[in-house]
Amino acid sequence: MLGFLGTAGIVAGLVGYLLLVVRSLGVARTGTRKGSLAAPVQIILAGSAIAMVALVLALVVDDFSISYVANHHASTTPFPFNVASAWGALEGSIVLWGLVLSIFTWVVHRKYQQSPDALGAGALAVMAVVGIFFFGLMITVSNPFEVCVLAGERSCLSSSPWPFATTQPPLEGAGPNPLLQNHYLMAIHPPILYAGYVGLTVPFAYAISALALKVPGPEWLSRSHRSTLVAWSFLTAGILLGGWWAYEVLSWGGYWAWDPVENASLMPWLVATAFLHSAIVQQRRNMLQAWNFVLVISMFSLTILGTFLTRSGTINSVHSFTQSAIGPALLGFLALVLVGSFSLFATRSHLVSSAPRMRSLVSREGAFLANNLILTLYAFVVLVGTTYPLFLEAFTGTQVGVGGPFYNRLALPLTFTLLLVMGIGPITPWGSAEPALLWRRLRLPLMAALIAGVAVALVITRNGWVVLACVMGTFVVGSLVGLLIEQARARENKTEESLRQAIAHVVKGDKAFWAGQLSHVGVVLVAIGIAFASNLALHLVVVLEPGDTVDFAGFELVYESPFQIEEPQRTVRGARITVLRDGEFVATMEPTANFYVNDGAGIVTPDVLTRPRGDLYLSLRNFDSASITLALDTSPLIWLLWVGGLTAAAGGFLALASRRTERKSTDQRLTADV
Amino acid sequence: MSEKSKNLAIGVVVATLAILLSSLVISQPGSGDRAQLIGASIKCPVCQGESIADSPANMAVDMMALVEQRVSEGATNQEIIDELLDSFTGAVLLDPPASGATLLLWIVPLFALILGIGVIVWWKTHPPDEPGDEVAATAPATRRRLYGGLIVIGGMALIIGAATLLIKDGSGPASGAAETGAESLTGNLDDVSNETMEAVIAANLDNAEIDGMRLALAERYFELGDYRSSFPHFLAVAQSPIATDDQATIALVRLGWMAYDGNGEVDTATELLDQALEISPDSPVALYFKGQVLWCGAGDTASASTIFEEILNQPDLPNETRIRVEADLDLAGTGAACT
Repeated sequence: MLGFLGTAGIVAGLVGYLLLVVRSLGVARTGTRKGSLAAPVQIILAGSAIAMVALVLALVVDDFSISYVANHHASTTPFPFNVASAWGALEGSIVLWGLVLSIFTWVVHRKYQQSPDALGAGALAVMAVVGIFFFGLMITVSNPFEVCVLAGERSCLSSSPWPFATTQPPLEGAGPNPLLQNHYLMAIHPPILYAGYVGLTVPFAYAISALALKVPGPEWLSRSHRSTLVAWSFLTAGILLGGWWAYEVLSWGGYWAWDPVENASLMPWLVATAFLHSAIVQQRRNMLQAWNFVLVISMFSLTILGTFLTRSGTINSVHSFTQSAIGPALLGFLALVLVGSFSLFATRSHLVSSAPRMRSLVSREGAFLANNLILTLYAFVVLVGTTYPLFLEAFTGTQVGVGGPFYNRLALPLTFTLLLVMGIGPITPWGSAEPALLWRRLRLPLMAALIAGVAVALVITRNGWVVLACVMGTFVVGSLVGLLIEQARARENKTEESLRQAIAHVVKGDKAFWAGQLSHVGVVLVAIGIAFASNLALHLVVVLEPGDTVDFAGFELVYESPFQIEEPQRTVRGARITVLRDGEFVATMEPTANFYVNDGAGIVTPDVLTRPRGDLYLSLRNFDSASITLALDTSPLIWLLWVGGLTAAAGGFLALASRRTERKSTDQRLTADV
Repeated sequence: MSEKSKNLAIGVVVATLAILLSSLVISQPGSGDRAQLIGASIKCPVCQGESIADSPANMAVDMMALVEQRVSEGATNQEIIDELLDSFTGAVLLDPPASGATLLLWIVPLFALILGIGVIVWWKTHPPDEPGDEVAATAPATRRRLYGGLIVIGGMALIIGAATLLIKDGSGPASGAAETGAESLTGNLDDVSNETMEAVIAANLDNAEIDGMRLALAERYFELGDYRSSFPHFLAVAQSPIATDDQATIALVRLGWMAYDGNGEVDTATELLDQALEISPDSPVALYFKGQVLWCGAGDTASASTIFEEILNQPDLPNETRIRVEADLDLAGTGAACT
């Protein structure tokens, strides 16, 4: 029943997208509103929602007649992990992808209703083509509503796409991957990441629409910029939550491993960040018009590449590529997107007017160019590092690993150069910067940065990375504060406001800019957090028997006793450890090993104690009746990383909100003038 | 360009270079202990993208123990890394060297950087005179250039397509070896050399049906006392979802014995042997080695004797085994230390 409902939802979504592509193409071509676009969009939204709801319901009511439920869920799986299983495995994640795409299609349509123009209709057509592909996947090679026709003991052995086939559900399902039912972050991380990922379809749709309709003017750029801001903010938050999840669940004390799955989300983020900046250059100076098209097309292509890399199994082994037909399908779509968009771009390139003369590289636009060079190079390094081993293995059979050491060596210089540009760019005027002015604005931040560096070296640590990160961070924040005060002073002198009022007015006067600077501060916090956590961490592995104590990082840890908790879906075995500092009780920590019914090996779950100076991180390495082997780690100031990441994302959302109010007030002013 | 702006530009360049250089200099390993650094540069064979220093997987922990031991013995980094790469199938360097097959990996980003700077400089020094004129005058040329680009992209798409076709067989260049392997799986392995077996196994990493050959090869290494070479193969069989009970039992028994005999880890050994006994409770081999570990490792002669007696109670015991166990039982019965 639910299988039928879900399949019906998918079919409805597919039909809706087909209808939308036909109608919106008609509107875009003739420029007149023939046939409503609202009806297909409503069908799409309803269809996607029905499919998602049917899948979630099937999981909640343990409907093992659907093979996805049989293979990725068990009746003992607790809330919220039973719901999260809806996107925990391949087929379900495509349903979520489809739903998010439909929501964004609805948003684009709403914009179209406000100002019905060919550009919007064309964008809807592009969204619809992408939608047809993903709903096509769901109905063919990645169908989440196949019914089980041959039950295994705890899984489904054979399934049929025909919803009315005679089903043979297993009595119990296999349960989700233990790693995915071990932490609540796993329930919210994918939807937020997908909102970012899929959101990048919107700027792409506007770009393709503008190229196809031969209107490469400012309008597509403004809409693409805005929608990229939405996607970028979600993507930032999503990547951050992914790192947080890894830290809380994977028990090695890290948050980022340059894992191909992580790289797949980082690449579009880097290019989207580049576009957010280069779009401003086009808006202000009418430069980089062709480049912006390239960035937007690359951004979307990288999301498809990322989906291909993470969802086709290619990463585990090049050879598992064809285990599912979804890999070739995604690769084919990627080729279509690349060839299609770039050929369209090539045939329209004569329309993209060339750049006006750039007066000086020492200018805001010069800083933006440097920013774009570094960010795209960064993305390129990650792309090469991620795909090179695949190509090499595919063609020569040679296996090579590209991991942390490679990326760090290239990413660190890029990151620090980026921070330098981040400090100089915002205080550099457009056009051509007067060296004297620049020096006046740079003098104080540079001095503050040097003092901070010396202070850190004397008081905290002489580790080069940490000192450098603090120097660069102070420089960036210092130059922002200096700029804010300079502008406020100027206003203060003119208007006789107090400095505080003046500062508030300056910020209100250019909200989007200052929201962007808030994101910069977030990035600085992330950089400092990473520098501290990865350079000043302490690490110790000890074997303890009940009653033993160990001194570590200024704490005294007492291993009290082992304990065991039986839950329906798992057995939790853990060690109770009392943490003392200077003889005073601080906390009881319980690192555990969780043994899930469907996985004998067990998942080690760390316990993290967060304190202002950083985290104490305990994870079990071994467990037997007499003793435990315990890994002790510190992560100094790692909370800066989470706070910084959220600040960066918040900056994005604030910039979005301020753009909206600015637009509204402009509209009001225009209406008032009339 | 005025004198002042030149100075400023130079200042910016110098500052950038200073940062680049200082980051490169301090990125050289200096802090942290040597074992950790070596571990960070080796990919854990059974994990996804994690290094053996980061991964809590048993295999990674064992490999790290080996690294620590070799570091304490005074081996150089390169020696240790080479040993690890030689002994563990699937262990690869996470820090690809700027030579050989991975040279391109380092050159390509550098080339991209130079290209990027070049484009910006060219763009800055060759601005169009008037935007309007430029469109009209150079449109055909631009188009031709862009069509050239299009052909390049099309070519790349073709290459990707060809690559997918190549990969499609699930093997690529190694498929010949894989077929040989499938044949010899059913035949007699006695005449097959170690090297051939390694090659076949390497070509069939994803093919669990190779368990039989893995076990045979591992047994050969094991008999020669080459625990390091046999370890990954026993491990693979022990973890294989389709290995028969007998295969899994033997693999676990051997792993347990190597944990005790090679590393002196009595607890790990007992745990592995218990796992083997869970699969085959009556396996004489598993019981015998458990007895040995209890006797020699834990010095628990009483329990060892009980286990030896349990073995001797089994009906169809081969004579050779019976004699060996009886000898051990006699010795243990006197409370003597194991030999």
